[in-house]
Amino acid sequence: MLASLFLIGATFATPQMSVQAASQMIVEDGAGGMTGAVNRMIGGIISYVTWPDRAQATPLTLCRIGTPRLAENIAPAVPGIPSVTVRRTTASDAIAKGDCDILFLGRMPVADRSRLIEWVHRRAVLTLTDDDPSCLYGAMFCLAGGSARLSFAVNLDAIARGPLRVDPRVLKIGAAP
Amino acid sequence: MTDRKPPHTTLQKLLSRFHFGITLFAVALSGLTILLAGVTALRGYADRNLELAAQLGAYGVEPALVFKDPQAAREGLAALTRMPGIAHLRVLDDRDRLLTEWRSPESDPAPLLTRIFFPEPFVLPVRRNGSRIGTVEIWGDSSTLIDYVRIGLLAGLTCLMITALGTIMLARRFEYELVKPLNEIATVAHDVRLHRRFDKRVQGLGIAELDRLGSDINALLDELEGWRGHMEDERAMLAHQASHDTLTALPNRAAFDEQLAARMKRAAQGGTGFALLFIDADNFKAANDGFGHAAGDAVLVALSDRIKSALRKDDFAARIGGDEFVVIVEPVEARSDADDLADRIRTAVADPIDLPGGESYRAAISIGVAVYPDDGDDGQALLTAADAAMYANKLSHRT
Repeated sequence: MLASLFLIGATFATPQMSVQAASQMIVEDGAGGMTGAVNRMIGGIISYVTWPDRAQATPLTLCRIGTPRLAENIAPAVPGIPSVTVRRTTASDAIAKGDCDILFLGRMPVADRSRLIEWVHRRAVLTLTDDDPSCLYGAMFCLAGGSARLSFAVNLDAIARGPLRVDPRVLKIGAAP
Repeated sequence: MTDRKPPHTTLQKLLSRFHFGITLFAVALSGLTILLAGVTALRGYADRNLELAAQLGAYGVEPALVFKDPQAAREGLAALTRMPGIAHLRVLDDRDRLLTEWRSPESDPAPLLTRIFFPEPFVLPVRRNGSRIGTVEIWGDSSTLIDYVRIGLLAGLTCLMITALGTIMLARRFEYELVKPLNEIATVAHDVRLHRRFDKRVQGLGIAELDRLGSDINALLDELEGWRGHMEDERAMLAHQASHDTLTALPNRAAFDEQLAARMKRAAQGGTGFALLFIDADNFKAANDGFGHAAGDAVLVALSDRIKSALRKDDFAARIGGDEFVVIVEPVEARSDADDLADRIRTAVADPIDLPGGESYRAAISIGVAVYPDDGDDGQALLTAADAAMYANKLSHRT
């Protein structure tokens, strides 16, 4: 907890240092290897995020906007948490309905992305992307993949702006050099 | 005690050996108990320590297991790698494949201790929302225990030595208190046996059992002393009986011979002169026959009493035959001294004697005098001379 406070404190002091790429998940060989790895990673991240004022058992809604780069299909594998409903949607639709708990941002126009990031400010919505390896455009978690490796980075500024609570251990993994 | 053969063992040695055995047994028993209790407690703490470390490790590696990230797992274990007492760490994923592993660079200080305390690793499953996502395995080593065990052993050994010394000192004191009074009893018994000190008694010893023994010994000594006194009295009586006539209580012939020999020897060495009176009752046989034996005895007793009453300080009278008496008269300056005594005896005897039957008897005696060395210079000659003089005197009565 102290580490997270320190990290959050550090994000305000040095915003340009707040984005870190770190986690290195081993990707199994095979056709579905990368897709499975992506879904496990998304599920893992979701399991360490807490939505305020929300019952544990309530299913989560993941809104997929744009085209994922690393996985063909987004279906988070989350160990021991309520199921996640995946819905394909558009930026304007997601903003209009406002019922998404998680936004997965694939490849999409820059304007849409900026609008979505802007809209998410101070809302209890988790943002993930696989189209921003250096994690500079405002998504909270950014997935990046190599040939046999998958990693994620954390944008501490983005997390600090919203009311979501993220387990500091995950922040630490994402923030590790 | 010096005259005895060297004993096989002393009571003190026996007690000392016995005490030492008991002390050693007690100290060893308590030491073993403390050791066992300590080892059990130590094992409990060591196990708990490993369990805490495993829980800390499980918390640290949980996200790493979720993301299957070996690097993150290593970082999650970083806190544990700085903890002493952990030899080997392993993190396995949900399919028991090795995610990361760490071995302590320091060697185990006491592998035996490790084998005793940590024979197998502590295995803790890592759970995430109820499902098992991996396993943390921790092998402990003895580095945290070795100091404890070392200090424990040292303290235990010190305690053992202090206890042993203390108990031995106490045992010595006890031995002293017991052996001293026993020695006192032995000293008394020894004195009595060797020096015939029957007046010695055992003093109060302050220990009930020994006091009882002491008082029993004292009672025995009392009895011994009594017997000894009685025996001495008896011996004196027997000696008196051997040298005295039972009827008249005058010394007998044997005592007279001894006395005569002693006096002659003294006179021969330049002492005073002496004389011998031979006294014989006249017509004693007739009195004995006429009045009976009891009357004869009464006459003899009366005669001896009257002879004794006439004697001077150093004169010696004895009854040497039925109605024959002798008197050694000493000192004698001249024959007249002996004659004077003979006259006094005649006068004393002249009074009538009351007989048991109520009659009165007037005794008559004949006395012969022999002077040493004029009438003989050995006992037999002197006695023969006195006898002859008496006989002459007796004849002179008849005429």
